[in-house]
Amino acid sequence: MPTRWLRGLPIWKPIWSSARVAVKRILNLPQSSWNLFRGDDRLLLIILGVMVGICSGVAAVALNRALVTMLEALHPLRHHVWAIFIPGAGAMLSYLFLEKVMKEGAGHGVPEVIYSVSRRGGLLRFRSSFTRLVSSCLTIGSGGSAGPEAPVVMSGAAIGSNIARLFSLNERQRITLLAGGAAGAISAIFNAPVAGLIFAMEVILGEWASIHIIPIAIASVAGCEISRMLQGNQTAFSHHHFSIDLPDIIAAIGLAVLCSFSSILLTRMIRNMHDISAKTPLPRWVKPAIGGVAVGGIGIFFPDVMGEGYHAIRSMIEGSYTQGLMLIAVIGFLKIFATALTLGWGGSGGIFAPCLVIGSFMGLTYHRGLVLMFPGVDWVNEGCFALLGMAGLISGILQAPLTGIFLIIEITGSYEVILPLIVVSALSTTLSHSVEPASFYLKDLVMRGQLLRPGTDGRVLADIGIPELLETDCIPVSRSLFLRDLLKVIQKSRRNHFPVEDPETGDYLGMINLDDMRPYFFNPVLYDTVLVEQIMNTDLPCVHPAEDLGTVLQQMDELGLFSMPVVSNGRFKGMISKATILDRYRRELMVQTAH
Amino acid sequence: MEIQVFHIFRNNALGRETLLQSIYFSVQTNANLSVYVPEHTKFLMYFENDVVQVDLDSSYLTQPETAVERAMALAEADGLVPRRVVPQAFTASTLPDIPVNFDFMTCPRTVSDLSSKIGLGYIGPRVRRIVKCARFPVLIATPVFKPWTRLAVFFGGSVNGVKALKLGFRMARMTGMPLHVFTQADEKDKAYFQDIIDQEGIADTFEKQVDTWDVFTSGKFEDNLYAVPHDALCIVGAYGHGVIKDILFGSMVERIQATLPNPLMMVGPNYAASVGG
Repeated sequence: MPTRWLRGLPIWKPIWSSARVAVKRILNLPQSSWNLFRGDDRLLLIILGVMVGICSGVAAVALNRALVTMLEALHPLRHHVWAIFIPGAGAMLSYLFLEKVMKEGAGHGVPEVIYSVSRRGGLLRFRSSFTRLVSSCLTIGSGGSAGPEAPVVMSGAAIGSNIARLFSLNERQRITLLAGGAAGAISAIFNAPVAGLIFAMEVILGEWASIHIIPIAIASVAGCEISRMLQGNQTAFSHHHFSIDLPDIIAAIGLAVLCSFSSILLTRMIRNMHDISAKTPLPRWVKPAIGGVAVGGIGIFFPDVMGEGYHAIRSMIEGSYTQGLMLIAVIGFLKIFATALTLGWGGSGGIFAPCLVIGSFMGLTYHRGLVLMFPGVDWVNEGCFALLGMAGLISGILQAPLTGIFLIIEITGSYEVILPLIVVSALSTTLSHSVEPASFYLKDLVMRGQLLRPGTDGRVLADIGIPELLETDCIPVSRSLFLRDLLKVIQKSRRNHFPVEDPETGDYLGMINLDDMRPYFFNPVLYDTVLVEQIMNTDLPCVHPAEDLGTVLQQMDELGLFSMPVVSNGRFKGMISKATILDRYRRELMVQTAH
Repeated sequence: MEIQVFHIFRNNALGRETLLQSIYFSVQTNANLSVYVPEHTKFLMYFENDVVQVDLDSSYLTQPETAVERAMALAEADGLVPRRVVPQAFTASTLPDIPVNFDFMTCPRTVSDLSSKIGLGYIGPRVRRIVKCARFPVLIATPVFKPWTRLAVFFGGSVNGVKALKLGFRMARMTGMPLHVFTQADEKDKAYFQDIIDQEGIADTFEKQVDTWDVFTSGKFEDNLYAVPHDALCIVGAYGHGVIKDILFGSMVERIQATLPNPLMMVGPNYAASVGG
């Protein structure tokens, strides 16, 4: 900005200009300073990645601080019986804020980010950069069973997308910055830069293209650093040394089964609650309150199910959680139920933190069960199984094993658990995938056919429109043409198809195909007696220019057609053929997979 | 390829007047009409470099059971077979995505606010954002339908003004209607504007297609607008320069929309104009 002012002053103009040219010649830089960044996208993306990481880090810290403040402010009220209404009020206010004030059209956050990457070139609304922070603060701060991670991911991604828009970046660059925002947010909220990077690559982008990695890593570092500056460099859960032996690694297989079962149960319960909520004939703003009050009711007897629940995890990792085996199992399943009530009935928040809590309860339950059944074995401390359970749940529900592994290592600082951690994460992901082929975040998108990762068949077809494929060199013929005249037209044409049109209205009536005409060619008697309208094919299905190419190709395959006429408003527009589709498909695939 | 006009149907008397203008426009330009009958009060439009959320006034959802039938009946009465736009993609369950691959769009002055705000001098924020982001021009309909029989382009020499002029040529060819050009010269002379036309390489087309060119060298712009025919569709470039310049010098389009009761065709900064197109 100051340079712009300098350039504006007449006295400075020649000096500024000469200095600029000289410096650029010495450094061998392009003559336009903006071109330096434009010419090298990587440099531009790295600089913007820092900016995105800082902004998303600040958003994550702001939400964290707001949650702490709200939880502390409401804590003295929790012992009252009427406190069961607090989570309900919070969830209702959250819904009203999102729907009535911000008109957001709420979802859980992360699926919208993935949808934006998959289908909308990384475009997200500006309002999404702050709405979910406020709404999730109301839901979680009042005691709802949800986590702040999905809201900060949404917020960070929206920040990245809007910064990219501000700088008029292209689609691929915008997607990189969006993922950078998500990475910065996860990195800041967990103080886990590697987990942030891996989450962005594995869950948000679903591809490991080298073009994305560096800017996202930089954004992740920036987010983490800003969080450390504002909150201190602390791991979320204190580090403990665990001595892992072979029995623990073998036992991890059983824990993976329990974790995948729990993650499938959680996914299905949230969906069922969503369906029940949708069928309940009540105003939409009342529904989150119902879910919230139910959670508040559970919370009176089992306070560990409320809020993000990190305090319970801490005591479990430390080995100081004193409840008995059955009670821990019950609380674990109640946490699943409370999370389903909160999110399924319209509360705002994420699934990450509840997964960590449920996972640690499952890990603890499993460990105590093992100790009960095999008292002679020298098992590792139960805190270790709490960690493994967290990784298992995260991996199972997100079907993203690397995110689970690195998140747990970073937030606990316990690298020595890496072997059982890999076993639990890998197996939990595999088992969950075999029962639920799409993860919690992707299920809706897959069901709607909207998950189209770059370079996949669906994405390539979705990015090609019928108008781009039109072959317009077919010669239309009149319905009243005799066969002899049609033969003259055929002589001039290079195509096998001849659309038949009404000479008065220009409307498309049918199609003449050379193959259908062979019987008539060799009988000259018919040349002056058969009209085009008598031999045209009127049953050939037509395509509208606005139709989806995937659907059209499916229709072609089913009917065994090689080409189809494109008709709009009753008029013939051209032909679409598999040869042209293949040609265009290859070019589109090359564009999408070029890194 | 055929021309597509996009219309969002509001199922009440005001919506009928707007739809009649879309129908008239489609008939005059030989375009196909695509009608969206909303089922939710909001939707998203994903443009090339921006996403616009349109929050509709609740009157758009009046009597949903009759909306489709009424919209189709109005169009068919004028010999059109409109295509119904049904959202295929949703950002959230109540947030459909509407395609943006149209050639024109028709809008009342506001879609998000109460219809009491449809008077002169007010264009709603959503309509403004659509104009700014869209690659297609937006026809701002009048509260009551009145057929237009000529075209009036406002040309002030700006980049967007040139785009408006090119759209005027295109519309004149499509409709066969006479084209009038109006220029508020202020301290400049006609030669200045003629130079811009020459530099743009559209002097020949200008010569052939423009019926009259009024250059106002004196008088207040708002007063000079009296010369614009009452039955003209006014074509104007909009939002071509920055906010600061608009605040300092005022915006041509704001003065036009606050003064003229005619239908306005607003050409935004992203409209890709060509003389041939």
